[in-house]
Amino acid sequence: MTGKSFVEAWNEFFFAEQSPIPMALFRIVYGMAVLATLLLTREDWIAWYGPHAWVSLRTMQAFEPGPRLNLFTVMPASVFWVQALFWVFAASAACLTIGFLTRLNSVVVYICLASIQQRNLFILHGGDTFLRVAGFFLIFSAAGAALSVDRLIRIWRGKEGVEIQPRRPWAQRMIQFELSLMYFVGFCWKVAGAMWVQGTALSYIYRLDELQRFPLPSWFLNETLMKLATWFTLVLEFALGVLIWIRELRYYLLAIGLLFHLSIEYSMNVPMFEWDILTAYVLFIDAADLKRFWNRISGRVGLFLGERITVIYDGGSERLRRIANLLGALDIFGRLRLTDSRDLGTPSGVDTKAARNEIVVMTQSGTQPRFDGMRRVAAVVPLMWPIFVALSIRRLWTS
Amino acid sequence: MAGSREDGEILRREKNARKSKVAEKGNALRSGSKALAGKKSAEAPPETAARAKRLFGLKKWRYIAINTFLIFHILAISCWCMPLSSPFIAVCRDALRPYFVWSGLFQSWDMFSPLPKATNSYLEALVLYKDGSTKIWSFPRMEQLTLTEKYSKERYRKFVETILDNANAALWPDVARYVARLPEIRAGQPQKVMLVVKWSDIVRQPDGTFTRAPWDEHVFYSYDVKPEDLQ
Repeated sequence: MTGKSFVEAWNEFFFAEQSPIPMALFRIVYGMAVLATLLLTREDWIAWYGPHAWVSLRTMQAFEPGPRLNLFTVMPASVFWVQALFWVFAASAACLTIGFLTRLNSVVVYICLASIQQRNLFILHGGDTFLRVAGFFLIFSAAGAALSVDRLIRIWRGKEGVEIQPRRPWAQRMIQFELSLMYFVGFCWKVAGAMWVQGTALSYIYRLDELQRFPLPSWFLNETLMKLATWFTLVLEFALGVLIWIRELRYYLLAIGLLFHLSIEYSMNVPMFEWDILTAYVLFIDAADLKRFWNRISGRVGLFLGERITVIYDGGSERLRRIANLLGALDIFGRLRLTDSRDLGTPSGVDTKAARNEIVVMTQSGTQPRFDGMRRVAAVVPLMWPIFVALSIRRLWTS
Repeated sequence: MAGSREDGEILRREKNARKSKVAEKGNALRSGSKALAGKKSAEAPPETAARAKRLFGLKKWRYIAINTFLIFHILAISCWCMPLSSPFIAVCRDALRPYFVWSGLFQSWDMFSPLPKATNSYLEALVLYKDGSTKIWSFPRMEQLTLTEKYSKERYRKFVETILDNANAALWPDVARYVARLPEIRAGQPQKVMLVVKWSDIVRQPDGTFTRAPWDEHVFYSYDVKPEDLQ
């Protein structure tokens, strides 16, 4: 590879614009993983991080000296402040999940996550570490560019249309890099250990009482199978670290990796580790494949949501175009047929003057009046179901 | 006054027109029956387009800054966590340490390696009260918990693993103090807290089968509780 072609490949890899949907999906599952981690430790927040915790802040600082991004060192040492930090953290993680003020919340989530991990480094597993380092690069990503409240707000403000704009994926690439590095370094550490090379490592691990979750069949614990499983782990970690970058092998490896992590989730007690790692798998899926997969799902789910509804709007009106765009963005199951009256003309039976001022909703039974029309639209768009409930209550109230 | 209002109105209209152009650029539409195509954006002059393509639409300083960030972090993270032991790598890690430790980018991926644990063990605290009576307080043991408890109490498994490592002996006073402060312990006026490890090795037999060695125990730390510990 020449220097020039390397630079071209580098630029293509980090800067060629692509759909932000994988990153947006990652943001959602990442936020859920962070929330789950918080809620699972809810009853021990004070025990681990409080003013009289298992490990005092002073001991922690003596153990790991030096300046650190750790809010516990600057906030008052009281139960109230610790609880407040955790609730702010949880609220911010929830906002990150739905993509509201995404950039700000990604920063808040990272600072809070780094703080609680720095406060007690002795209770962390690899999944926590992965969430932290992935969270760092998430800050720089276009995670709010799709599937987010931020995007709906941008559409409403007329700053964006329905079509999701491609973005530079360099921050996404760094999270992918972290995941593959994790597997590769894990492989390197393991091949340095005699038990892994000899094939006995898993025989020991599966006999640790503290790690057992659901029972395994006794035949699985026989020596030959344990050796094969140990060596398979080495091969898979190498493959997920290195070969995952080969496009033709990627999906096979992701599928095997998924089964591998689910089997660990079944058999071993390392809560959240597998889920934390699996969150990043979505970053390796091409947006086009995600779209194909989603189209297949939405086609099936859409059938249960009722008839497709035609929504006619006057594209010459900025307000109506924004509303139409917003409906288009919310309609993830494709139940609306959005039609610009400038292109098709006002259909017969529709008041031309009314069509210029408001959205016209047409169902098989004809044109629907304003609120009823919006209620029908909300009924077939799951993301608008809260509005459907509100409009239904209003209808009952007024009748 | 009226003039300035008109000017303001004109400005507002121009601003809205600009906004709607932006919106239409990426607008409306899903393919097919869903919606209709917006106006295409004006073609950029060839020179500008070529330049934008060269730097992927980034200003030159931004392109350089991002690349510096990427190259630095790729090299630094690799250097930090790869299990290499050359003097050069050690120097690099020392240089990186302040930044990694501060920012939270430190990481290690040595799960179950190089040698996985080969001993079943658990931790208890033996509490000696002022009246001479004793009580054993057991740390949560994963094998005795329900599935949901395992999810929420797993941190104790990791913590006990850490405590049992002699390299972390500096944690033992904190742990003993915490046990003494537990409501059910504090009420009885604890005088001494002893940390006891119980263990059983997993032994590989010559025929390739595995057995468990008998359980053994050892008091590895003793702490005299001070009155201020119970405040």
